[in-house]
Amino acid sequence: MARNGEQLLLLVVIPVMLLVFFSQTDLLPTTSENKIDFLMPGILSLAVMSTAMVSLGIATGFERSYGVLKRLGTTPLGTRRLVLAKVSAICVIEVAQLVLLIIVGLLLGWNPSQVNLAQVLVVLLIGTSCFAGIGLSLAGRLRAEINLAAQNGLYLVLLLLGGILVSNDELPNSLGNVAQFLPSSLLSSLLRNSLNSTELVITDFVALCSWASTACVLAVVSFKWSD
Amino acid sequence: MSAKSCELRTVMVMNISSQSHEVAISVRDLVVDYKQLRAVNKISFNAKVGEVTVVIGPNGAGKTSTMEVCSGVRTATSGEVSVLGLDPKKDRIKINSQIGVMLQDGGVYPSSRVFEVAQHYCNLYGNRTTADELIDMVDLGRQKKTSWRKLSGGEKQRLSLVLALAAKPRVAFLDEPTSGVDIFGRDLIRGIVRRLADDGCAVIMATHELDEAQRVADHVLMFQDGNLLANAPLTQLRASAGNNQTLEDIFRSLASNSSKSREVQ
Repeated sequence: MARNGEQLLLLVVIPVMLLVFFSQTDLLPTTSENKIDFLMPGILSLAVMSTAMVSLGIATGFERSYGVLKRLGTTPLGTRRLVLAKVSAICVIEVAQLVLLIIVGLLLGWNPSQVNLAQVLVVLLIGTSCFAGIGLSLAGRLRAEINLAAQNGLYLVLLLLGGILVSNDELPNSLGNVAQFLPSSLLSSLLRNSLNSTELVITDFVALCSWASTACVLAVVSFKWSD
Repeated sequence: MSAKSCELRTVMVMNISSQSHEVAISVRDLVVDYKQLRAVNKISFNAKVGEVTVVIGPNGAGKTSTMEVCSGVRTATSGEVSVLGLDPKKDRIKINSQIGVMLQDGGVYPSSRVFEVAQHYCNLYGNRTTADELIDMVDLGRQKKTSWRKLSGGEKQRLSLVLALAAKPRVAFLDEPTSGVDIFGRDLIRGIVRRLADDGCAVIMATHELDEAQRVADHVLMFQDGNLLANAPLTQLRASAGNNQTLEDIFRSLASNSSKSREVQ
């Protein structure tokens, strides 16, 4: 992953750039007193989405296309160890991303009022499973080039409509009503809540869990190891 | 049908249990379908330890499908396959530690470098051999730091062979190992294949280059349209056809007879 410059752009440069740019300008319609407090949970969601969905999905799509997965399937590695290796890689990258973003956020004046760490970790875990499931569902069926376009397109839609930069309340009513059930909206909202209160919005949590389980089942059922 | 053709057909259906070597791969009534297309049509054969079994036939004859079923990459539609006494699908992890597979199209990430891919595969098999040893064996020492995408076609084939050899395999499946390889590379690969078999490995190698097959085969499986035209030791096949006949002549004769008999039916 790290050998490809575009991955570095996706995983580090874009989230940090969005965080710095929109926290220092008045371009976003937000009612929060401190813009960084609104932005930070959304950018953390974006980091999870970029690693677990886009990066994993695109890499896996090309591995399928190049026959890497088929080739590994003839070794003693086995499916379980391969999945475990991918999960470990995602976790390591996400930890590095979150640490970097939290440092940048704190430097920009982020001040979470009441952090429920256990809740934050659980929500991040469910969010990661959800986006990994979506990424692998696409990667496991589509041709590498189409998968690349689909992952990037979905990333953009979930970024714009997912309560990451703009609150769903600011969207037109009909669009906002649909957008609030997108996985990125649910993750952003749950993180915003977990970083500023001890309460857990059960409906959002159940909805995110449903997305996660559906996406993971779909990935397992539909995944093809080679084109 | 000429007398020679009759003899050939006798060899073609030769008793597959005539064995001086232990059977490593046993295939019985194998069928592989792709939706409406039958790629492999009820074939049976054995491949033995210490022998190079060459699978020959034109493109789309069923060679790769057969190899993929035997190596556990593909599921058979029906039939029985046993590799080292194990089921390639059910006992996949057990079998995978004992077989080496060279796929037709690499299966390597383009940015991966020669040494690191070889090292990675040696690690996967518990370091039974070293990356340096394998790289030297296929004469890729000068390309150690070269990425896959920058290798020539022949160099890619040699690296693919390294990945199969990292297993120190008891059974090696090599799908067109000399395709796109220059004359010196072919000699090198042929030598490695021969040594593998002499060291007790059952080598099963697909190719559509009949001259190549003639140089390296102990046993020949001839495929056409998913059917097995011949299943016999090379020496016996050539003796039946007359020793001045090449494998190409034999294949043409069998393929023509097979087409005629289908037309009659």
